Amino acid sequence: MATGDEGLKIAATGVGGWFRELDQLLRGELTRLSSLRRDGIAISLRRLSYVIVVLAMSYGFCMGTFALFRVQGPGVWQLVASIAKVPLLFFLTLLVTLPSLYVFNALVGSRLSPMAVVRLLVASLGVMVAVLASLGPIVAFFSVSTTSYPFILLFNVLVCGVSGVLGLMFLLQTLQRLSVLDSETARESATGPDHLAREEPSSALDPLEGRVLGKHVKVVFQIWVIVFGLVGAQMGWVLRPFIGHPGLPFVFFRGRESNFFQAVLQHIHTLFS
Amino acid sequence: MNSAVGLLRLADSVLRGEMSWRGSRFELRRPALGSLALGILVFGMFYGGVMGMYGGVAGPRFLQVVYSAIKVPFLLIVTFLLSLPSFFVLNTLLGLRSDFSRVLQSLLATQTGLTVILAALAPFTAFWYISGSGYQLAILFNGGMFAVASFGAQWMLRRDYIPLVRDNPKHRWMLRTWLLIYVFVGIQMGWVLRPFIGDPNSPVQFFREGSWSNAYEFILRMMWDVMMAWRR
Repeated sequence: MATGDEGLKIAATGVGGWFRELDQLLRGELTRLSSLRRDGIAISLRRLSYVIVVLAMSYGFCMGTFALFRVQGPGVWQLVASIAKVPLLFFLTLLVTLPSLYVFNALVGSRLSPMAVVRLLVASLGVMVAVLASLGPIVAFFSVSTTSYPFILLFNVLVCGVSGVLGLMFLLQTLQRLSVLDSETARESATGPDHLAREEPSSALDPLEGRVLGKHVKVVFQIWVIVFGLVGAQMGWVLRPFIGHPGLPFVFFRGRESNFFQAVLQHIHTLFS
Repeated sequence: MNSAVGLLRLADSVLRGEMSWRGSRFELRRPALGSLALGILVFGMFYGGVMGMYGGVAGPRFLQVVYSAIKVPFLLIVTFLLSLPSFFVLNTLLGLRSDFSRVLQSLLATQTGLTVILAALAPFTAFWYISGSGYQLAILFNGGMFAVASFGAQWMLRRDYIPLVRDNPKHRWMLRTWLLIYVFVGIQMGWVLRPFIGDPNSPVQFFREGSWSNAYEFILRMMWDVMMAWRR
């Protein structure tokens, strides 16, 4: 479904087109102030979701290679389970955090519709998963060549952390840009169009220069972003195991005990003792 | 003969970072990506071969020379390929995508530069071996040679990045990130691909069965052993 805008919307020409959309997202072309103002976040939810699932599965594969090459432990079933779980992790986290993002957004006076909020979150997931998948080969390499379970677990946590941070930076910047556009549109309709030259940020992650965004709005968004991170981390714990302890047999989900942060601290302790 | 001269010319061009006037500013003139890759192969194999000569070249030990000659370029190329996707995505996210073809050329040229420097250091390694060195020390010496070559390569990379950083300061962070990723992966890769030198008391093998799970763990332990040995 190609639309008129030159270059910014993509003709749906198969798989290449899907990744091109992700590419444009990463380059910041879909979150430029001019394109946001024109049609919000112009992504195709269906296409981007497919891309997210594919990339998440590839990362699940890389994570699962640890279990594949161990003599004991969960073996190839862990690989299959990880491939299934990583997309699940992302979409469940999205589901859990979506209502609160919409509510907070509405509270600060944004005029984003629920669909727009969904698009925003999915776009951020796209960024997150792109970084994750690109680090996949490195994770796979270490998984295959290391036998230390605490090391590989912490390494995966680090990689997911980095992708999460970048995805959330994207989310935060885009939220702020959308809010700024909202407030400016409100001002314009009251006082007439603003002809001052607008400065476009040079990338998807750059903050806007010299824009006034209410301090409380910024804080609200920042808190929400932290909450998203916490939910994602704990969701990862709830859905465990992703890597599979070499001493334990395969099981799809482990029983409820402890939590993500406690477990990470424990593994750090094991690694360094 | 032509190819030998061509190789030397490639090495020279890479080391000097030849500039040419392009458009409105000086830009680094780089050989084609294919030639750069070939350079990595040839110079890397040369140093690898010399590395593997520790146990002598008689009989079965010659295999070690062959193995090491294969492993050095393999180490560099595979580490490069593993580190590239995440670096590419990071560059894209930070809005540096339009510079990426220059960045890629610089990165690859740095690899070639590293192998050129290594090849130049090979006589030192040969001399060290001939002077009769313990196995642990030989490993550390080679590590030292790699370190020297890496510093040289890093210096080249910084030089290449000067025009990029001038255009966009974010490149400075990207340079540091590349080094971080590359070194992190490279150390483990070097560990996995061992032995490069070949303990003369062990049979010649392509891979050793792992006794330590992690490169970093092992390096620290080996340095500790050497320090202990010196103290006695």
